[in-house]
Amino acid sequence: MKEKEPKIVCFSCRFSWGYLVSEEDIAARLENWIPIICTGKIDPVHILTAFRQGAEGVLILGCPEGDCHYQDGNIEARKRITLLYNVLQSYGIERERLKLHLGADPEGKTMPQLVKEMADTVRKLGPRSGDTPTQKKSATRTK
Amino acid sequence: MTDKKKVAILWLGSCGGCDETIVDINELILGVVNSVDLVLWPVALDFKYHHIEKMADGEIALGIINGHVRNSDHAEMAKLMRQKSQVILAFGACACFGGTPGLANLRSKEDIFRWVYQEAPTVINPKGVCPQTTTRVDGKELTLPEMFESVHSLDQVIDVDYYLPGCPPPPYLVLKAITAFLENTLPAKGSSLASHKALCDTCPRNASKPNKVAITEIKRIHEVEADPTKCFLSQGIICMGPATRSGCGESCININIPCRGCFGHIELVADSGAKFLSGLASMIDADDEAGLEKISDQVRDTIGYLYRFSLPISIMNQKKLQSDEVKSDD
Ligand code: SF4
Ligand code: SF4
Ligand code: SF4
Repeated sequence: MKEKEPKIVCFSCRFSWGYLVSEEDIAARLENWIPIICTGKIDPVHILTAFRQGAEGVLILGCPEGDCHYQDGNIEARKRITLLYNVLQSYGIERERLKLHLGADPEGKTMPQLVKEMADTVRKLGPRSGDTPTQKKSATRTK
Repeated sequence: MTDKKKVAILWLGSCGGCDETIVDINELILGVVNSVDLVLWPVALDFKYHHIEKMADGEIALGIINGHVRNSDHAEMAKLMRQKSQVILAFGACACFGGTPGLANLRSKEDIFRWVYQEAPTVINPKGVCPQTTTRVDGKELTLPEMFESVHSLDQVIDVDYYLPGCPPPPYLVLKAITAFLENTLPAKGSSLASHKALCDTCPRNASKPNKVAITEIKRIHEVEADPTKCFLSQGIICMGPATRSGCGESCININIPCRGCFGHIELVADSGAKFLSGLASMIDADDEAGLEKISDQVRDTIGYLYRFSLPISIMNQKKLQSDEVKSDD
């Protein structure tokens, strides 16, 4: 029996990713794909909501460093994500489940592959512990 | 018989601080007590719950409830109050958002029981005795409320009409809320009976806040001598003011302590912790990933900072109480 693909939510900035092809074209190849303009638009609320709704991983595709249409939206995104890692960890969500990838692919050809790689990483981690946060006991307790 | 409006004050999972703040309206409380008919106030008056059970539905004009909902007893009492009251006011951060006890939701119930009754260094419990919902002693059955899996805010259990935030709410706001109730000037159902502004908007230090705050190092309040005139964030000290509702009178700020967010979220904000995180990220001034990681590591206990009073209503944690969690549910 074929193993079920882990659910990966992919946000991608339209300025660098797949702007030469139609949205339908990418949507046909990618499940749970959310095109946006500028990763700087992504709020931690969106990422948390994706996890809350059962995402096993969240992949964010932004423009190359120094090449953001809005100057530094991608760098802003990176800052938020870095801070968010600590929050996710408290919920038992490993860091590897949230990834920001900066690059460019106007035809969006590599997008399915990037999502697949994310799915592979996530599959290795095993299923998510769910929305019941379980910190490792040793994390904050000292005897 | 009196035709005064009947008011009930109830505590659920409470530290007592919320009741104390009602007492703290001082002599003005006499005026309140004279204008209403208090039918329940466990912390101060000797009424029994069965007196409430005997009342007609909706007989209580205002039910004030403080504390969070963690066990079957809390839930049953909350439901009883809802049934008997025309208006329910969630009083204090615990009732409104789950409060500091809500941080317990970072652990499972089993984990908490194991720690409290077995593993904590101060515990000596060789027989592994742990409270049970029913125990037989000398042929008699003793019962205890059942602890739920998580801490709930009041509105995750019953319909709430108004919210009065704060840990605890300050006396002047309590008086204002009760006055609005007595004078029939309460705002629309669902409102918070506090300011609609963010704490930053009313903070005396706001003027000192630079247009662009650039944080290169995050410091904890006890590690530094904070400048009492400057915005905490501009000093690299985390202050939840930008994401917190105003109305407390800047109590913490005035004693040179940053805001921890006890007034909860501002209108229309889904998750104030996530909102604050976003704002904080934009203030961080780091050139590369390593620098960014370093600052991020300086935020100790990120989740505790962001959700100190509101974890149960955060996006990741919110859970309505399932009716099957309350066995005696009707
Ligand atoms: S809101 Fe604060 S003062 Fe009120 S019961 Fe909770 S912890 Fe105590
Ligand atoms: S961040 Fe804190 S200190 Fe600064 S203006 Fe806002 S409430 Fe005041
Ligand atoms: S400053 Fe913040 S934490 Fe302190 S009382 Fe006001 S809202 Fe609560």
